[in-house]
Amino acid sequence: MPLDRELLDRLGAVVGEDGLVTALEGRLVYECDMHTFYRGMPDVVVLPRRTEQVQAVVRLCRAHRVPVVPRGAGTGLIGGAMAPRGGVMVALNRMNAILEVDLANRCATVQPGLVNLDLTRAVAPRGWLFAPDPSSQMVSTIGGNVATNAGGPHCLKYGITTNHVLGVELVTGTGDVVRLGGKTAERPGYDLLGVVVGAEGTFGLVTAVTVRLLHAPEAVKTVLAPFRTIADASETVSAIIAAGIVPAALEMMDATVIRAVNAGLEAGYPEDAGAVLLIELDGPRAEVEVQAARCAALCRAHDALEVRVARDEAERALLWKGRKAAAGAFGRIAPAYLLQDAVVPRSKLPAIMREMEAIAARHRVRIANVFHAGDGNLHPVICYDDRDPDELARARAANDELLRACLAMGGSVTGEHGVGVDKAESLALQYGEADLHFMARLRRVFDPDGLMNPGKLLPAHPACGEGFRPARPAPPAGTWV
Amino acid sequence: MSVAGGTLVAALAEVVGADRVRAAAEPVDGVRPRWVVAPTTVEQVARVLALAADAGLAVIPRGSGSALGLGRPPARAGLVLDLRGLDRVLEDRPDDLTISVEAGLTAGALAARLGARRQWLPVDPPGWRRRTLGGLVATAAAGPLRARYGTLRDLLLGVRFVQADGVVTWGGARVVKSVSGYDVPKLMVGALGTLGVLCELTLRLHPAPDVERTWLVTVPDAEAAAALVAAVADSTLEPSRVELLDAAALRATAAPAGALAVAVAFGSVEEAVAEQGARLEALARAVGGAATVVPDFWERYDAALVAGEGEVVLHVASLPSHLAPTLAAIHGAVGALGPGAGGLVTGCARLGLFRVVLTGAEVEAAARLVTTLREAVAPVEGSVIVHAGPRALRERVDPWGPVAPEVLALLRAVKATFDPAGVLNPGRFVGGL
Repeated sequence: MPLDRELLDRLGAVVGEDGLVTALEGRLVYECDMHTFYRGMPDVVVLPRRTEQVQAVVRLCRAHRVPVVPRGAGTGLIGGAMAPRGGVMVALNRMNAILEVDLANRCATVQPGLVNLDLTRAVAPRGWLFAPDPSSQMVSTIGGNVATNAGGPHCLKYGITTNHVLGVELVTGTGDVVRLGGKTAERPGYDLLGVVVGAEGTFGLVTAVTVRLLHAPEAVKTVLAPFRTIADASETVSAIIAAGIVPAALEMMDATVIRAVNAGLEAGYPEDAGAVLLIELDGPRAEVEVQAARCAALCRAHDALEVRVARDEAERALLWKGRKAAAGAFGRIAPAYLLQDAVVPRSKLPAIMREMEAIAARHRVRIANVFHAGDGNLHPVICYDDRDPDELARARAANDELLRACLAMGGSVTGEHGVGVDKAESLALQYGEADLHFMARLRRVFDPDGLMNPGKLLPAHPACGEGFRPARPAPPAGTWV
Repeated sequence: MSVAGGTLVAALAEVVGADRVRAAAEPVDGVRPRWVVAPTTVEQVARVLALAADAGLAVIPRGSGSALGLGRPPARAGLVLDLRGLDRVLEDRPDDLTISVEAGLTAGALAARLGARRQWLPVDPPGWRRRTLGGLVATAAAGPLRARYGTLRDLLLGVRFVQADGVVTWGGARVVKSVSGYDVPKLMVGALGTLGVLCELTLRLHPAPDVERTWLVTVPDAEAAAALVAAVADSTLEPSRVELLDAAALRATAAPAGALAVAVAFGSVEEAVAEQGARLEALARAVGGAATVVPDFWERYDAALVAGEGEVVLHVASLPSHLAPTLAAIHGAVGALGPGAGGLVTGCARLGLFRVVLTGAEVEAAARLVTTLREAVAPVEGSVIVHAGPRALRERVDPWGPVAPEVLALLRAVKATFDPAGVLNPGRFVGGL
């Protein structure tokens, strides 16, 4: 349904004509994120520069009962930054300033459109960094990271985005501007900041973020260990964690990915390996040395084919090159693929890997694996040929079965990508009716009209509806008068 | 529907057993509840809450009871829900560094179990061993280890709680990494049980370091302390605790005497602890301080800081960049308390947090001090929370302090959504929620 002229005019008055995208060809680029399966074109895209403009846009949309969809770089993998119900997309890319770097208090305040890596680049000369490092960090925005509560390889040691957000400025679904959290470490009241991070824009639009900065570690050591089988590599991961070592990153790639990566660049991974582990330790030099030696010993004890330790930054970069290129290499594996983001308890890695092989065989699909093994966050890449409808159906069946297998082991349906539309229905597998009902009511606190990124994050389940009443415990018989 | 008193007791007894319902003998923060009910399972908690909600009774959940004086006095008190009977370990996953426990388990009992395998839950507010894990979560309690490990906000992965109407609800996950849906566990941390009664907690554990050693750096003045804390922060040192102690705190911990000190601990492999300690000693010399290794420091620190009867405990949140002026404001205000009164100041210097214990302070004088300190930290958007103290003080000043009106509106909306009738801890939380 096209927007009425009056709303368009008023939006234009708020953001200026150059901040308004109305033409079809202009809007086309906004119709999907990196999960191109899900498409929904906004009726208009606005590009605000200031919080007051965002607030005015939200208020206008509320008055006209029009959905509001936030968007950063569009690198999400869940269909979160597209407009399935049309409406107004608020692209925050022009709000990309670093408002303040406050190293004395180990934090920085930035606008949501700032690219993740640009923050680290700004503070790196002084020896500091912003820890969350999603693979998309060269393009993804900090606002998008906050919305999806993004992770990354190094969140094994440092935690995901929420552990690094100290405060936000939020334009709520009612068009109010609130500041939640801040630089000080304690404050009275519910931890609303904690639920805004990861809310995927369903509570409103984040217009400023105060993030924690960390001092760069003294030393970094990267170890690469190929194994004959993925089972050996999985056992090694469990052994490292069980030995009380929490590496900065602990990544795994299976044979399919190793070959795809090798074909694309000279990563130098052994072709005969069934799996490769990439282990990175950082911290005080003496600690890193001792722990690297312990990790190497554990790798050898689990029959690693070799243990390669990067001697300098150039070698370290080379060892990481293949891992970082993995996502781009998927195209060499298959014409199309489903990327999963499920989690299992890390001690269940060997079990889920066996299960995955069985699932792949059962559905006659190829599943490639490159993932954050240290925290049990799987990224199976289920390959299919999109010209073959039967293969797509089998890939989807395998995907579904895999998700259920992860949940049966006590896992989660998403570790770092988020829910969006892709996982919305899966939430009903992980949560009961009362749990979904709780979340839906929380959403209505921030967005009573249901206009903020509608159709995302929660399933279209009766428990998420307004009239739902979850079951209460029955009173003992005969006690009522 | 209503239930006559006698019938309600019978119903409660049928749920938890007659021996686990009794008439309340003690008031809670000056308000006399009618019954104390001690369930032993989540299902029992749910049924008790359903009964209480239908009968219009306010419910005060309790663990060890150490924080029953936190916040405003309760507006009403129908029954106290004693959760110490929910003390089982539900699922222990040593190789995952996670554990699921019932909320009534004490942190000390958990530590004993985890210590045997060289893991820990790094949460150490004063007196933590005797406190229940549910109580620690509900009060967002944290101690010196937050400097490295964060708080329960960072460690609570999943939570099972019972809503005000008796509906059992689960939020979060049992794995260390999950972004499936809203981060409900965070909403429960520090909510003082006003949104739900915490029953089960899934916690992230950390490996205990091979060695942890503590250097006490005595410094001449607050500027030197601030300079040391800043130098440590702007270095590659990775301390596990960075605590400030004033002269009174040093006396209380029987530590080497001095005007002021910063206790810095490093936990790692022996080589890294020794090496970082040597670097710290150099940083200490550069600010005119002297560093000494103090064995068993944190046990003494913990024992010295548990608040005594009638003492006032304040949490002052400022910024690391304002360490010296905030400390000066605190000491100035303590000095103005009048004869016979005194104060002891500690705190997580790395985060600009202070914990102030006042002894012998008149209510009026303590109230003035709270107001003065709130003004002092207002420019950095800091806060002063009265964590313990006589009821009269918490009636005289809002123990939580001011909250921006638009934020308060959201807090009210959250409470009104999940506990519209005000069953859970009514009146105690921020804004009288």
